Amino acid sequence: MWSNVFTGFGYWDVYSWIIFFFIASGLVLWIRSMGRSDYKKGTEQDEIFYGSNAVPEDGSEIQVPASSAYWGFVEALKGYYELLTGMHSGLTNDYVGYMVVVAAVLAVLVLL
Amino acid sequence: MSWHVHLPALMIAVPLLGAFVAPVASMLGKAARNFWLVGVSALTAILSVLLWQQVLASGTAIYVMGGEAFNLSLPSGMSLPIRIILEVDAFSAFMALVGSIAALAGAIFSTNYMEKFSGLDKFTALYFLLTTGMLGMVLTGDLFNFFVFLEIASVASFGLVAFWRDRPEAIEASFKYMVVSTIGAMMVLIAIAFLYGRYNAVNMAAVANVLRLGYAEKVALVFLIVALAMKCGTVPMHMWTPDAYTEAPAGVTCLLIAVSQASLYGLFRVCFSIYGASLGSAVVPWTIIVMGVLSMFIGVSMAVVQKEIKRLMAYHSVSQIGYMLLGLGVGLLALSDPQAMADYGFTAMKGGIYHLINYTVCKGLLFLTAGALYYAAGSRNLNDLGGLARNMPYTTFMFVIAAAAIAGLPPFNGFVSKLLIYESTFAVYPILSIMALVTSVLTLASFVKVFQTAFLGPAKARLSHVKEVPAGMLLGMSVLTIVIIGLTLFPTWSLSNLVEPAAKALVDQAGYISAVVGGGL
Repeated sequence: MWSNVFTGFGYWDVYSWIIFFFIASGLVLWIRSMGRSDYKKGTEQDEIFYGSNAVPEDGSEIQVPASSAYWGFVEALKGYYELLTGMHSGLTNDYVGYMVVVAAVLAVLVLL
Repeated sequence: MSWHVHLPALMIAVPLLGAFVAPVASMLGKAARNFWLVGVSALTAILSVLLWQQVLASGTAIYVMGGEAFNLSLPSGMSLPIRIILEVDAFSAFMALVGSIAALAGAIFSTNYMEKFSGLDKFTALYFLLTTGMLGMVLTGDLFNFFVFLEIASVASFGLVAFWRDRPEAIEASFKYMVVSTIGAMMVLIAIAFLYGRYNAVNMAAVANVLRLGYAEKVALVFLIVALAMKCGTVPMHMWTPDAYTEAPAGVTCLLIAVSQASLYGLFRVCFSIYGASLGSAVVPWTIIVMGVLSMFIGVSMAVVQKEIKRLMAYHSVSQIGYMLLGLGVGLLALSDPQAMADYGFTAMKGGIYHLINYTVCKGLLFLTAGALYYAAGSRNLNDLGGLARNMPYTTFMFVIAAAAIAGLPPFNGFVSKLLIYESTFAVYPILSIMALVTSVLTLASFVKVFQTAFLGPAKARLSHVKEVPAGMLLGMSVLTIVIIGLTLFPTWSLSNLVEPAAKALVDQAGYISAVVGGGL
């Protein structure tokens, strides 16, 4: 129960990682404790610095929406994503068509 | 005779009884219905643990339905394997255990999640029918019986996907799933007909015992691979999964994950236990490996760009199926070469099977957290969510555990299964490992996106009323969280007791056959 997991090429020791996790957590807490002791929650120290502008009341105005996440990644792979989204047409005919094509290709490979 | 002998049959009979009694229990009120839903699911889970223990202790369990012997001897001396049998080896018992845990978690979660809706007597009955179908698929030793349970599971899932029938999207998703699933079922039936026509038998072990690879067997194999790969959501036949997983109620989606694994079980039972070494060439193993790689990469690519949380997770499910196909495909590739099996094949199979349980519990939990978000915030669109970690701390914690585990972050259980797959597939072709690693990075990216947009960020005025979900939903999620933490803390125990016996049973075709037809037909 407590020994290592051997992969045939190396091994994995979960407890080393858990010990590492606790050491890292301890370091984080220590660094946090080094912060300013005069911090007061709920005072102006809590205010967000928003490029010298007024912080909008509603968080939705300053949050990057999910549809914009990884915009650069998607833009760089535009051709790939156009192909993929084109494949996912939502048409039942296409769903069945892919099954038939896969069956036909596999049949050719297996039977020949 | 000990009642333990009847465990395989009870595993199917208990949820089936649950389905038929559900409308009666519902007449006694909400509390009775919920008690029945959770009680029967819990009893099924307990039975699955007992069955798993029995199989590990005593070897493959054979249960003949309605008779003492599976075969019928004629006066001429000829013996025909005609009775339906349940053949439960370590792989079957492992699958039943995993599926029962997912069913229990989904049932507990659904008690609160579904309370606002009507028609819950039908919901409960269909839920148990789906559980029955799933368990029947993994426990049966009969091909036609497998088809029957596949159909029971399919028909129940059509009803459950379309349960919110006031939503056109739910009806559409169910219809699409029904069309492709029915065509897949017909393929399975035609394949069984081919094998029955050739060998006068539908008993898996009996067919495997006499199977010689000819044209009819090859056609049957193609139909079985295509149909079962479609049912478990393999690219490019995965397109029903985002629709169905998104529209089904969250507790049902958790169970649908386990049902898709039952189809994966069927695929590998056919390849390893029925065809086995008869497969001959490397075409089929490589087909499974290629489908696995495509599923991994295309699934996660589509997940990254989704903004609907359950749809994102559904595409991610497709991606995780790819890991299992890759691991078990490499095992199939090494099946006829003992040296390759010892060097990397068995490790790949262990990785694939370990990932199967990791995937079921992690993805089941992720779908439940998505359901919790929908329940609390009233939206599944990530653009509408934000800052919910403050309002829903327990759900957030369990989401992080599940997302980190399935993304393969150390020290979680998902890392162990992925490590086994990476290292073993590297021995076949390094590019396979590289694709798996890239997929893992994109998996993490997709969950970082969900975490950042749904849980982090400033609070939104529209969501100020949101509070943590009720105790029943938290308990349902906790069941899977505890399993994930257990698998994380005790990977060696999990591999020795859960995974290795299952992998050994899968590669031991002779053992599977001799357990039934040891004395000949």
